[in-house]
This record gives sequence, structure tokens and C-alpha cells, in this order.
Amino acid sequence: MTAALRAKERPPGSPSVGPSPPRRRGRRSQGLAAHAFMSPWLIGLVLVTAAPMLASLYLSFTDYNIMSTPTFVGFDNFERMVGDERFWASTRVTSLYVLVSVPLQLVFALMLALVLDRGLRGLSIYRSAYYLPSLLGTSVAVAVLWKQIFGHDGLVNQALALIGIQGTNWLQNPDSALWTLIILNVWTFGSPMVIFLAGLRQIPEELYEAARVDGASQIRMFRHITIPLLTPIVFFNLILQTIGSFQAFTQAHVISGGTGGPVDSTLFYTLYIYQQAFVNFDMGYASALAWVLLLAIAVITALHFTLSKYWVFYGD
Amino acid sequence: MRHLSRRRLFMGAGAAAGAGALAACGGVGGGGGDSASNLRYAFWGNNVRQENYQEAFDLMAEGNEDLALKVEFAEYSAFQERMTTQMAAGNVSDIFWIPSAQVMTYYSNGLYRPLDGVESLDLSDYADADIQDFLLDGEHNTMPFGVFVPVIRYNATFVEEDGVDWPESWDWDAFAEFAKEYTAESEDRWGVAYAADADLPFEGWLRQRGEQLWSEGGRIGYTQEGLESWIAWWEDLREAGATPTIGEQDGVGASWEDVGDRCLAWFSNSNHIVDDATMFPDFEFALSHLPVDPSASDGHQFLYFPRQAIYAEASDANAELAGEVFNFTTGDVEMLKVVGLTMGAPVNPRVAEEYVEFASPAETAMLEVVSEDREADRSPRFEAPPGSSTWRTVMTRTLEEVTTGSSTISEAAAAMIEEINQGIDRAASGEEDA
Amino acid sequence: MSTSTLDSPPVVDGPTRPRGPSRSMRRAKVRGAILRHGGLILFGLFMLYPLIWMAVSAFKPSHLVLTDPSIIPTELTLENFVNGWVVGGFPFWVFFGNSLVIAISAILGNLISCSLTAYALARLEFRARNVYFAIVLVTVMLPMHAVVIPQYIVFSNLGLVNTFIPLILPKFLATDAFFIFLMVQFIRGIPRQLDEAASIDGAGPFRVFWSIILPLMKPALITTAIFTFIWTWNDFFGQLIYLTDSSVFTVPIALNALVDSESNQGTGTLMAMSVLSLIPLLLFFAFAQKHLIRGIATTGLK
Repeated sequence: MTAALRAKERPPGSPSVGPSPPRRRGRRSQGLAAHAFMSPWLIGLVLVTAAPMLASLYLSFTDYNIMSTPTFVGFDNFERMVGDERFWASTRVTSLYVLVSVPLQLVFALMLALVLDRGLRGLSIYRSAYYLPSLLGTSVAVAVLWKQIFGHDGLVNQALALIGIQGTNWLQNPDSALWTLIILNVWTFGSPMVIFLAGLRQIPEELYEAARVDGASQIRMFRHITIPLLTPIVFFNLILQTIGSFQAFTQAHVISGGTGGPVDSTLFYTLYIYQQAFVNFDMGYASALAWVLLLAIAVITALHFTLSKYWVFYGD
Repeated sequence: MRHLSRRRLFMGAGAAAGAGALAACGGVGGGGGDSASNLRYAFWGNNVRQENYQEAFDLMAEGNEDLALKVEFAEYSAFQERMTTQMAAGNVSDIFWIPSAQVMTYYSNGLYRPLDGVESLDLSDYADADIQDFLLDGEHNTMPFGVFVPVIRYNATFVEEDGVDWPESWDWDAFAEFAKEYTAESEDRWGVAYAADADLPFEGWLRQRGEQLWSEGGRIGYTQEGLESWIAWWEDLREAGATPTIGEQDGVGASWEDVGDRCLAWFSNSNHIVDDATMFPDFEFALSHLPVDPSASDGHQFLYFPRQAIYAEASDANAELAGEVFNFTTGDVEMLKVVGLTMGAPVNPRVAEEYVEFASPAETAMLEVVSEDREADRSPRFEAPPGSSTWRTVMTRTLEEVTTGSSTISEAAAAMIEEINQGIDRAASGEEDA
Repeated sequence: MSTSTLDSPPVVDGPTRPRGPSRSMRRAKVRGAILRHGGLILFGLFMLYPLIWMAVSAFKPSHLVLTDPSIIPTELTLENFVNGWVVGGFPFWVFFGNSLVIAISAILGNLISCSLTAYALARLEFRARNVYFAIVLVTVMLPMHAVVIPQYIVFSNLGLVNTFIPLILPKFLATDAFFIFLMVQFIRGIPRQLDEAASIDGAGPFRVFWSIILPLMKPALITTAIFTFIWTWNDFFGQLIYLTDSSVFTVPIALNALVDSESNQGTGTLMAMSVLSLIPLLLFFAFAQKHLIRGIATTGLK
């Protein structure tokens, strides 16, 4: 083991929630420089982000139909959620979606990133090909494509017919519709894959070289260099995909035509917010729904950060 | 806090952001178009409709260059999203089309400018009874630009090929029997597509029972029994196999491209024939009136109008120009010669007559059914009240519950009525507070 | 599978590693490579089937796209490209141009603003740093539909509707905070010894940022560029509400205008123009991912 490799093997553990704790001894604060560096973001926060966010927070305590003057109603909107079946339906749909599609997508992305990292001719072609679905993303065309695959006469049923099974219309069946959206999400694993690839590229080559000189085996290098140094990126992808899946909207909007059907089986939480805000003009309730989502995501993210000190390893 | 208007609420942030915006990003930006006037016209459709309308508008502007429009268009649901944000910011187009479920919601939010004060608007072609049909809550504040009625559209080629007898008029029971028989005798065709979600036929059913879709007081105008009877009529057909399965037709709202060439009959709006016929150029399509029960109450026929309005905060000058735009778009056959009848039969009786000689076969069929219903005595109809904008989504879900067997018809009907009522109550209580 | 990635010798586009495998090993390697190519191609076809269908449909007569959905066309035509080319009186290349202007500005904005902020959050020491970092995260958590109307009101009252400013300016102000988080994660993967060495040599924070951190975080910057490009290129909602005049339409708005949800007309033209709109994305990605792969070799611990 080289010194470099050993240096990397510091056990992950220093407890922290944000980025690394100020652990450098006796260094003076760099507050002025930091605020100078952050000034674009600070300006944006104050002018573009915070005001609308605070406005929506205020609106969540009001009755506001977009044209009217907001009327303060206290916690009415939040109380209403308790008895709102569709709120619960959307919560169930979204939770299942997050729980299933995030791990699946990440595993796919990581495996393919490792396969496509190096060692084969023409890898860049594969990378581009596998990334193509993510480029299409959530364009209106996806609705047409998905129907060609999962519709009554779609590809899946044609394949099933070959082995004598009469398939259902997967998009119109409340038991399977959400799964077609999960597959859609996994299909676009290209985005986390690219981030993983970038993370793999970031690992200094010298570490491998030094380890090789010391006669470390491939498996050992993978376990002791690749995996630990990739954990910040795995963590990032986990957070990003979790937040992104909680906020998933366009897939369901495009494929169900904005209804979240059949029978609310694809009523994503944000789709419900959208229906309340843009179709029902119930902006107060929509804002309350949005802030509840924010709280839920914040709790889950905080949990991820707390757990991260047990498995995420930082080079700093 | 109550008196803090939303504009105030955001203006503080706005002023500050402005300084930043201009300082950081002064030069970037797109052009604002180069039309001479600043009259904005917002509508929905696809690029084909947009091109046709633009051609017609260009024609209009040749006559009066003040009428050069700045057009804002998008697909139907995108149009509504954009409209919502514009409403919130008080930045709505001078003239805009009104999505059907939002007519009264927009009205209750004061979006419409009363048309009585618009002197350029020429209503001389309309009888008093026509104008009476246009009023909302007793006010003339929207201008219809088309007429739809509920119809059965049928495949005339099939009728000929299969040697079936298609009568002049149907009653509901006879039609149901016919559809079942036809399906049984046909190899790969169905009598009718499942269409319990079709709004105009549903409204027609209710009116024949002496009920209404919406009441004059802005409530649901039908009974649970009325709703159940409608769903039951369709369920009977579906269970008998006279319609495609929900899977085959891709949802409770049948998909025309999937089964349009395998269903003899199709319940829909009279105007849809124009666009739909082009998808299956090998077939000829024709229109019949909705089935009528012998016991149907008088005046059950009705006309549905797609409407447009002038924005309440449009300048007086723009409102006058908008009146002239209405004169052209609804009162000049030249307009329709360019754009066709995708938005229904002409609302102006004179134009409807003038257009006959230019109509395509599909359009002729539509003009005939519409003019027959127009001549009938009609009891008044009312638009969807505020808070009910999602009623069609609710109805679709209700039908999904019934057709998947997760609810009985009466449970689902009761739930639908309750959900719609809640929305109306909520909107009404909001208005009282404000 | 994962370990095999490290032991395949002739590195093609990654940095080379000196190795000297025996002949029998090499033969096993060739067999392995064939297997892997076979697997990758098969999987690729599976992944790309929908897109291949889309490309084929683009060349079918419009009324057949949905009524005869087989992947082998019976008739080929260019009518979809002709019919979809003009939207709102403007040819599609105008929309490509508009989208490109927005996308490139957004990339610039995100690269500059997010990297500066991320550096401060990852490396500089100051009070309340964790609070700032938490705020960064919280701003990504609120769903867009809750803030889009207030934002629109602001920009509308400033008279900035139908300009690109509402779509570009926020990027220069690091409002895509998710990229800040991305970059923070990458910077934290860079060994601190590097900037400490520079600091000891007397370099200030900006020097360290500019000459040490920035070159080392090239993969993160390229990732940011790729994502920004794609997101901007596909962003529908923001562009829909801010751009109402067809002269400033972007690709997604124009694509949306091809479909009429009420009548399902225009699916053929939608397929055709969707295929076209993918091309710039694919070119950009192919170009950028080359850099993603080559960025690192010359740097590292020295």
C-alpha cells in the first residue's frame, strides 16, 4: 500500500451535515472572500428565489384563487389535506414511485457507468446511444412512444402474444400504469450515468498506479479506491434522484394527459399540485401542498445526510 | 394582510429584481415581433389551425391595418397554463378564447369586458333570441364563434358494406339493441365506441330527462339517478361487448386513431367530424342526431358555443378594435373560407347560409344537424360554475372506477357528485370571503 | 462485472495504463470483448427501440403513423418534415436559433455562478456555512409550480415577457442550485493537500479556485454543461409562459404547437420534428462526453 492509498483510507466518520466541518486548525475565517464568491447566488436568492418562495409560503395560509386578493385562513389548507383522499392517493403513488424507481435507476446507471468507463473500443458510441433516451427526456413525443410499447396493440403485447398470452393495455390498467412510468424513469438512466462517469474520471489515476506498483489486485483497487472515492457522487445522485422523483411531473402529465389516471394511479404529488393551481385555481391549497412536499423532502434529505457519514467518504 | 393585493406582494421583489435584471443582462433578449398594432389575440390549436387563422388575419389586416394582430397560440392545455399565469399577472391578451370548463370561472374573476359598450361590434345579423343564448348571467360579455351540438357520427362506408339499415332518427333503446346486434354479426367491428365521458351527449341525455348539466344557480343540474342512468346505459353496451374494451379503445375516452376504423358509430361533438375524417381517408362519415326518447321533454335540444372575450383591462381603443376583429371572425364568410369549420358551424346565421356553397361534405353534414337543432325550441342551458373546472377529469375517473369494477355505478356516481359539489362550495365560500 | 472494468488492457479513450498481458490472457480478453460488445449492442437495441420507431414514423405518411404503427414502413415520405417545418409563420431553424441562444447563455451562467458558489461552500471557512448549504438544498426542494406564478408576475411587471431575460438571468444568479450541490460534491473529492500547498505558496482564494480547483473539476463542469443544455433544450413550462410571440418560440414550444390534444392531428409532424430536435442534443453530448473522458489524465497529485 502506498502512502497515497493509505491517505485515502481514513475511515469515513467525522459527523457533519453540510460539507466538511471547519477542521483546519487555526485558520482564519474567510467570510469576506466566501461572500464575494457566493455573491451571484446570494443576489439570485434574494431577488429571484426567496421572494417567490416566501410568497408561496404566505399563500399556503390563504385562500387565493389567482385573481382574488389572498385571504388569510390560518391552517385551513393543511387541515383540509387530512381529509383529502386525492392528497393521500398522490402521496401513495409518489412514495411507491420514489422507493422503486430511484434505486433501480441508480443501480442501472452505476453498472453501466462502470462498464462504459474504459476498456473497450467504441465506448463513446455506446455512451451516446445509452444516453439518447435521456435526451428525449419528457418531450411530448414520449406519450406517443409509450403507447406504442405499452398500449393494447403495443410491442409488449405483441411479444406476449408470441407465447400465447393476451396482455392488458398496460397504460390503462390502474395496476400497471405506474409501473410503465417507473420503467420510463429507469429508461432514462443516462443522466445519473453521466454523473457517475464524471465521478470515475475524477479519481486521480496516480492512485491506481501507485497501488499497482504495490501489487494491489484489481478487486482490491476497486474496493479501496474506486468505491470510496465514488461515494460522494453516489450520494449526490441519490439525493438528486430522490428529490427529482418526489417532484416527478412531466412524465405523468404527458402520458396521462394531465389527469393522473386511470383512477389516480399515476397521480404524482406535483401533478396534483398542478391540477389545484392551474386547473382549479386553488393556489392557496396548491401552495400548502407544495410546502408539505418541501418538508417531506427536507426530512428525507436530512436523514440521508445524517446516514451519509457512515458511508460517504470525502477526500478533503 | 387581507388588503395586501397580490401585485403589491410581489412588486417589491419585482422592482429590486428589475435593477439586477437590467444591469446584469441588458442586451440579451428576443424581438417582440414587428406587427404595427399591439392588439393581442390568444387561442389554442395546432400549427395547421394557426397557419389558417394567420392567413385569415392577414386578409383582415389588408382591409384595416390597425387590425394586425399579435397572435399567441398554444396547444389546448398549454394554452390554459399560459392563460393562468397571465391572469395572475394581469397580463392577459386583449382577445382570448375561453376553455369550456372555465367560462364562469373566468367570468367570476372579472376577466370579461361587457360587449354592450363596444360600439364597433356589429350584431345586426342576430335575432334577439340568438343574443339571449349568448348571455352569461344576463350579461353579454362573450362572443361565441361557433356552434356544436351532440351527434352520433357513423361510418357510412360500413353501413353500405355491411348492408345495415341506418334510420333517420334513433331512440336510445333501439340504438342499443342495434349496436349489440351489429357487433354480434360483424367479425371485427363494433357497433359503437364507449363514450360515457363525452360531455355534450351526456348533457343531451340529461336534458331529455328534464335535467340539466348545470343549474341556473351555478350548481349541479342533474340528479344522482340521472347520472347513474347514463352510465348504466353505456355499461350495458360495454358488458354486452357492443363497444371495444377500455383497453382496446385506450381509455374510457375512446381513441379515434386506435378504433375509429373499427367502430360503426361514435358519440361526439358535431365539429369533430372535420378533423377526424382526415385520419381515415378511405371512409365516408356522416352525422345523425343524438337518439331521442319518445318521452323526452320539450326543448331538450341545445347549442354549445365556443366563446371568446375581450379582456376587461384592455384599453378602450383596443376594445373597439377587438369589436371589429369579432365582426370579421364571426361575421365574414371570407374568414371561414380560409379556416374552415373546425370550431363548429358559423354562429352568425347569415354567414352560415353564405358558407353552404363552400362547405366540404363533412362540413355540410355538420351544418345540417346544427341548423336543425338551432331551429328547435330550446330551453336555456348554463355553463359550468366556478370551482367545477375539473369536472370532466372527475367524470373520467368515475368511469374508470366503474369500468375496472372498483366501484358500483351508484357509489361512483354519488362520489362524483360529492366531489364536484365540494369544489363549487369551496369556490363560492372563497368569493364570499373576498 | 464491476471489477472487470479495471482489468481490460488496451485502454482506448481513457488514460493508458502500462500492462503486459500474456498471449492466452489476450485471447481470453478478445473473447470477453466480443461478449461485451454483443451484450452492449443487444441492450442498446432494446433501449433504442422507441427512438428507432420514432425515426421511422417521421417518414411515414401522417395518417398512417398511428393507424399502422409497425416499425417497417410501407410508404416513405418527407411530408412530415415539410408540414412541420413552419410554425407560427417562422421556419424551424428560428426556433433552433432561439433555443441555442438560451441554452448557451444558460450554460455560461450556470458554469460561472455555480462554480464560484460551490467553491466557497466546499473550501472556504466562514460562519454559517452549513446554513448556506442547507438553503442551497432547500431551494431545490420546492416544486416549480408553487413559485412559477410569483416569478412570472415579477418578470411580467418588468415588461420582460417575450424576451429571453427571465430564462437566462436566473442562471447567472445560480438559481439552478442543484448544480452548486453537484460541484460541491466534486470539489470535496479533490484532495485538500493541493490547495493547501498553493496557499502556503501565497495564493489567495481566487488563485486557488482559478488555477487548482477549476481545472480539477472539469468533469463536474462538463456534466453541468451537458445537463444545462439538455434541460434548457427540453424546458417546456418556463419557455411557454415567457415566450408568447412565435418569433421568440423555442424548440419545445414549437413542438408542442404541432400537436392538437383534441384531435390527435399532427403526430407525424411531431415525430419528424422531435427527431430533428434531438440532433443538436446528440451532437452536443457526443462532443462534451469526449471532454468528460479526457479531462483528468494530466492532473492529479503531483
